[in-house]
Amino acid sequence: MTKPMVPSDAELLRLMLAGDEQAFTALYRRHKGLVYRFALLMSGQASVAEEVTQEVFLALLRNGRRYDPERGSLKAYLCGAARNQVLLLTEKERPYVRLVEEADDGKAVPIAQLISGDDPLGDCARNEANRLVRQAVLALPARYREVIVLCDFQEMSYAEAALALDCPVGTVNSRLHRGHALLLKKLRAAVRLDSAAPDAQGMRCFA
Amino acid sequence: MNCQDFEKLALDLARNSLLDAAARDQGLIHTEVCSRCAARLAEERALLARVRAVAAELAGEDPPARVDAALLAAFRAQTAATASSTVIPAFDRSWRWSSWKLAAVAAGMLIVISVMAIFWKSANSRIPRREERAVAPAPVNTPGHRAAPPDGREQMSAEHPKNLPKRVRRRESVDSPDEVEVVTRFFPLREGEDLTTMDSLQVVRVELPGSALGEVGLPVDPETANEPVKADVVLGQDGLARAIRFVR
Repeated sequence: MTKPMVPSDAELLRLMLAGDEQAFTALYRRHKGLVYRFALLMSGQASVAEEVTQEVFLALLRNGRRYDPERGSLKAYLCGAARNQVLLLTEKERPYVRLVEEADDGKAVPIAQLISGDDPLGDCARNEANRLVRQAVLALPARYREVIVLCDFQEMSYAEAALALDCPVGTVNSRLHRGHALLLKKLRAAVRLDSAAPDAQGMRCFA
Repeated sequence: MNCQDFEKLALDLARNSLLDAAARDQGLIHTEVCSRCAARLAEERALLARVRAVAAELAGEDPPARVDAALLAAFRAQTAATASSTVIPAFDRSWRWSSWKLAAVAAGMLIVISVMAIFWKSANSRIPRREERAVAPAPVNTPGHRAAPPDGREQMSAEHPKNLPKRVRRRESVDSPDEVEVVTRFFPLREGEDLTTMDSLQVVRVELPGSALGEVGLPVDPETANEPVKADVVLGQDGLARAIRFVR
């Protein structure tokens, strides 16, 4: 028994540009979440993510012929377009991001061992921890934020991320390293990790 | 392997994306003898686990249905516009035509331009001046306004501002009051349909090729047929386009 053939992105795009509505719908359904979530993580605002998604697919309708499947995946192409839109929309009005959240009584929210696998505070703390991670990502400079969103959140390969960001693979690699270091630093600052946790950042050993 | 070498591998080790098995083994052996590098690797793994937990939390996040509807309407409008726009390719091929055909094309263009000039002159004479519009404003997509009916006589059903895409609302909020858009009437896209019987309608601003003007019988300038023109598309609850007007 053979599996039903799943049309490739390139095939769906070709059909879409020829006026096939089903192909457009299939392509949109396949990638809308990716584009929306990328924009959401990059901007932190649902309204921006919504607008970016609309603009990216409108651009695909208008300029879809510019996409060259031999250069890379449509996923990377769409993320590249979304990245440009996000930067365009958020350049002038980047939201102020608070890293250390305060409870109603003014005390800092106690999030223990935010980046450890063991989470003693249960679901509530986990949700809070997730929120802090998102805020820490939002507080990163855009060039580090975008590689973290693509490589870590969207689990893209370095090559795909390089295509989306229009830069060499080596640049993606180095920005990811630097981005992780910054992210850890911000999370440590946000939750004031207890002194027992080893501070690997900045420490050297000569084993 | 020393700690500096390990630092270069730490991220790929945490991501399990290190392709070189020998390097991976050396890195893992190093963590057994260096507690700080072991902690460094554990920290990277914990960070990735937390990031992926956030990604999993967001996995169900999709754009709202109004974005789906707006894009589908834009696709349908563009498909309808391009289906019959054969003017431009014909002119591209014309460079290979004989001189008498070129002359005929030039004559045709002159006629089209003349007709357009007459059309726009008569259209402009029908458009009220700005002062008049201040008294009787043109139907635009501002929240609280109702869109003008396609037939120009009957009122459409009340349109809730929530139904308008944010993009449209945001753009209009920054427009100065002096920037008044000139719009055509609504042209129905489906024959014999009474829009007044519908519960709600959406108006979505899209950009189409200039050749789309020809779809509703408006003159198309061959020189600008590829340039985008703004249009408002009226959508039914099912997302199907019901009417269109052009904006200048």
